[in-house]
Amino acid sequence: MVITLSHLKKYYRVHEKEAGFMGSIRSLFVRKYQTVRAVDDLSFEIAEGELVGFIGPNGAGKTTTLKCLSGLLYPTSGFVSVLGFTPFERKNAYLKQIALVMGQKNQLWWDLPAQETFLLNKEIYEIENEKYKQTLHELVELLDVESLLKVQVRKLSLGERMKMELIAALIHSPKVLFLDEPTIGLDVVMQKKMRDFVRTYNELKKSTILLTSHYMEDVRQLARRVIIIDHGKILYDGKLDNLVKKFAKHKVLSIVLDEYVTPDKLKTVGELVEYNFPKAVIRVPRSASNVAAAQLLQKFPVDDLNIEEPDIEDIIRDVFTSPKK
Amino acid sequence: MKGYLQIIKGTIEEYATYRLSFILWRVRIVVQLLIVYFMWWAIFAEHQELFGYTQASILTYILLSAFVRPFVMGTRTQEVGELIRSGDLSNFLVRPVSFLKFCASRDIADKLLNVIFAVVEIVILFFLLRPPVFFQTDMVILLLAGIALIMGMIQFFYFSLILSYLGFWTPDVWAPRFLSFVLAEFFTGVLFPLDILPIPLFTLSQSLPFYYFVYFPLKVYLGKLSVMAITQGFIIGLVWLVALWMLASVVWNRGLRAYAAEGK
Repeated sequence: MVITLSHLKKYYRVHEKEAGFMGSIRSLFVRKYQTVRAVDDLSFEIAEGELVGFIGPNGAGKTTTLKCLSGLLYPTSGFVSVLGFTPFERKNAYLKQIALVMGQKNQLWWDLPAQETFLLNKEIYEIENEKYKQTLHELVELLDVESLLKVQVRKLSLGERMKMELIAALIHSPKVLFLDEPTIGLDVVMQKKMRDFVRTYNELKKSTILLTSHYMEDVRQLARRVIIIDHGKILYDGKLDNLVKKFAKHKVLSIVLDEYVTPDKLKTVGELVEYNFPKAVIRVPRSASNVAAAQLLQKFPVDDLNIEEPDIEDIIRDVFTSPKK
Repeated sequence: MKGYLQIIKGTIEEYATYRLSFILWRVRIVVQLLIVYFMWWAIFAEHQELFGYTQASILTYILLSAFVRPFVMGTRTQEVGELIRSGDLSNFLVRPVSFLKFCASRDIADKLLNVIFAVVEIVILFFLLRPPVFFQTDMVILLLAGIALIMGMIQFFYFSLILSYLGFWTPDVWAPRFLSFVLAEFFTGVLFPLDILPIPLFTLSQSLPFYYFVYFPLKVYLGKLSVMAITQGFIIGLVWLVALWMLASVVWNRGLRAYAAEGK
């Protein structure tokens, strides 16, 4: 196993500030502290070459977990091992094999062209000249940024900068890559390019990648395995396909009608989600989907019918909003 | 090692990117020097001798301290507090790079630039103001002064770092830094030679680390100290150096445990 996480806990103590000016004054003298359980008893394992999507709402503990894995944070308790190292010891031999890319942080030298940072990383990671040239060439090709190498980083667009961040982070060909929200703030086209890149990189280099994202599309496109966490605990760990089977209690029937039917009649089949003649979308319990489909075909002037799985985003929203079991 | 050279190179390139701000910064330093210089010039206008100094010797002292100051107190470590607060420190922690050496490399770049420009400026000022300057020719004393200077530099480096490391616990390091620098400025002897202070204050200053930043190396250079005073200065200075170094490493290690890598 490349990554092993066992009963990881990370608690923060934060002080509560009361609202307003008087509250600020009061908190100068008396402080109330509150314990935030950012990560609460998390366990999972990731094998070499896996590309795992790590998802959850804001504040679920995704980033905290990545920080524990990359050695930035000391865990409150629990066992963490990556490539056989204990991350927070931050041994150089470990750091040389990993990379952490944070969508909202940059390591690039802001006032200088990106290639200055690449050169710096070349020296820091002690990469040989030939290897450096080859890797840089590969990455520049993949991301199509040849013309931007000499442009001051601050003059680059967000998307261009993100590409450069990736190059800086990958120039030492890390075995393990932690990607924290790599597509945040990017437009749809750039998001797709980013995704394509991550997929190709994973296939090409066989590196292990753990990726967090708010965008379901990222995870759907990239990861076969997902880990869903909320409030620092794992809700689901497994294949994306199984997630649907496990959590989707409904199926969705999309039909196209030949003639107009009143909505009330359609409601007898199931929950009418959308009706825009001639199209209608009806949600039915999973187990009843075949019966409902047959019923539709027999009793209604149906021209076309599709049985679909609900959208992953909907399922996940249900998972997060459903009351705790 | 080459990585740190690359940091020095990059830091200098950064300065070169913002020429105007760099030039203005140099202007500020020259104006600062002129203010202190003319203040003392005015004070001595009607006196032959004050506090055991002649006008010539005090002006020499002021000019020299202006030269030594950027050597010792030119630093980039004030950025460290912000790196911690913003969470950008993470970028260093996930790379196989020593943060301490990174800071030292940046400071070396800063000092290099500072010194090159300071030399040019001071040469110009010498020609304009024509103060009687004392050139030390004794090689042993020059060597000692050099060592004292390096000692002061390292002391100041750790002192400044410790103040910035406070950022691990408090989101704003500006206030403690400012306060400490006002205090340090007074006791380093860049505004006036410390031995014009009343005896109790002067004795107190000798037990503070600031004394060894600028005043001590300067006094060694001027050859005004007895062998006894030089020895004592090196011993106390060295004790401070070790103390600051140890404190810096303790604070750093504790800080890392408290570090929350904020701002994502």
